[in-house]
Amino acid sequence: MTSKEMAFDEFWSTLNGNLADQPLQLSTEMDSFYSQPEWTVYRVHYSGIDGYPLFSWISIPSHSTDRQLPALLRMPDYGSVHDVIHTSLRQDAVVMNATHRGQRHSDSSFQAQYPGLLTEGIDRPETFVMLRVFADAMRAVDACLGWIGGDPAPTLVLTGSGLGGALALAAAARYPQVKAVAADTPLALGHPMMIDRKAYPLAEMADYLRVYPDQQDNLLAATAPLNPVRLAAKIDVPVLLSVGRRDQGQCPVSVGSELAAALPDCDLRVYDGGSEGGGHPHEVLKAAWLKTHLGLA
Amino acid sequence: MVTREDLEKFVTQVTPPEDFGDFWSEVLANLGKIDLSPQISPVPMRSTREVSVFHASYRSLGGLEIATWYCVPAQGRGPFPAIIRFPGYKGEPGLQRDWGNRGVITLTVSVRGKLRSNSEFNPGYPGLMTHGIEDRDDYSYKGVISDCVRGVDFLLSRPEVDTGQIFACGSSQGGGLTLITAALRQEIRGGVSGYPFLCCFPEAMQMLRSYPYNELNCYARAHPDRASQMLDTLRYYDAVNFAGRIQCPMAVGIAMDDEVCPPETSYAAYQQLTGPKELWLFPDSGHGNAHEYPDRETDWLERNIASGRTNGTTQ
Repeated sequence: MTSKEMAFDEFWSTLNGNLADQPLQLSTEMDSFYSQPEWTVYRVHYSGIDGYPLFSWISIPSHSTDRQLPALLRMPDYGSVHDVIHTSLRQDAVVMNATHRGQRHSDSSFQAQYPGLLTEGIDRPETFVMLRVFADAMRAVDACLGWIGGDPAPTLVLTGSGLGGALALAAAARYPQVKAVAADTPLALGHPMMIDRKAYPLAEMADYLRVYPDQQDNLLAATAPLNPVRLAAKIDVPVLLSVGRRDQGQCPVSVGSELAAALPDCDLRVYDGGSEGGGHPHEVLKAAWLKTHLGLA
Repeated sequence: MVTREDLEKFVTQVTPPEDFGDFWSEVLANLGKIDLSPQISPVPMRSTREVSVFHASYRSLGGLEIATWYCVPAQGRGPFPAIIRFPGYKGEPGLQRDWGNRGVITLTVSVRGKLRSNSEFNPGYPGLMTHGIEDRDDYSYKGVISDCVRGVDFLLSRPEVDTGQIFACGSSQGGGLTLITAALRQEIRGGVSGYPFLCCFPEAMQMLRSYPYNELNCYARAHPDRASQMLDTLRYYDAVNFAGRIQCPMAVGIAMDDEVCPPETSYAAYQQLTGPKELWLFPDSGHGNAHEYPDRETDWLERNIASGRTNGTTQ
């Protein structure tokens, strides 16, 4: 095993330990304002690895009192606001929209800046926020599983775009309860190609290196455990992956190809778009794909 | 997917209130009494050899400080044409360096409620859409629109800006704000409105279950006794009622599978435009994701900026 592989395994092993040590402290409150006749909306609160208060929206079909419904967990993308998600899948599935620290509703003691979050505290592992953002995504899965409960747990499918795509893949690598992942233009954080991108958010890395040119090795080392390509070997569920040929800021098409090759069961779709990936045609395809993997087709 | 025929058949019920013009004249007059207090400070980490990036701010309605990213070409001699970009409902406005290479200034506005402009006003998301909606004078968008208008004032205050070459653009909420601001400020020489939001509120509420429009439905359900007042307020803020007042060239982009801003409602705004206009219809595209849109927007702006330079509007 190389030192890089050891560092990778050590990061995830330590994270697993920290997640196990911190009580989830899951609580929910119904939101009567955003609930509608067809679905009931809850505000979900839980704790991150360091006790950081985290928040998610969850939507439950009103026609069912059965918690054993399939669940779709949408991981947060790179931005501050994540409101109540609307999708036709809300009719028949639990739909959860998670946030990570620094985003709205999870910003009690830290507000993420855009641009800026990607390199926040990157000079030391203890302060590098993105490591905790990934931990927060794992906590979102814990919270979702805590909600849907059951033994065996109902079907859990993850989805996300950009950062959310990378978080969904990372969670699929850790949780055997995850049955499928639909990831659009997953953020290539930790991949060596991230350092010379022209578009945000990855361009934050080039900005950082322009000011701290001697920090390239440290920057690559700090982010390496988050590289979706490195995580791919641990993901054995079906993955629907979309990338855009003109994407300069999230997932360059070559990274998408590398990622697809490393995933045992990947349906890679390459489109002419930029960071939006496949746009509407892919949204239609993805909705059908998610419905199938949620067992609702 | 809707068709061109569907767009043509749609007739909005939205009309401006009788005192629409007076209301906005008063808002602008009151805004003019507030000291702009423009500030800029360099941001070295985001600056490059070609583009100098600044954090810029100014005062708007209620004296609130509004934050922006201000990107100025580092090469060449000004004054430079400028593009003011208005934000979508949820996203955080990013800095736009790419125009700097073409000798164009960009200003991206974080209207009140956005991360860098929310220390004194923070209704949240969801929340902004219905904040103060019971009264036209208290509605959140009175401030949001004022923040966009003041962005134009900021550009006009800058010596490096060619004040005869100010263009506006934005998508979704930014598209709606582009239409509204172009109607309120004649200094805007042209604009591109993508997937415009804030159009035909009553019809959009009925067509959709998606947010942000659905926040209005949630409000009406939670407060049925105030629903009528809500709709009265929205007449003062509907981009359709502003569009007929726009005199500069405009381009409007519409995705025919848009499930956030119904294509019919955006088209209704386009129909009201009386100046030179272009319509871009994107079949097989949803909200904000037409592959061709970014290039079309860039081409239109480049073309119109070049035309202004040729016609000698550049000082």
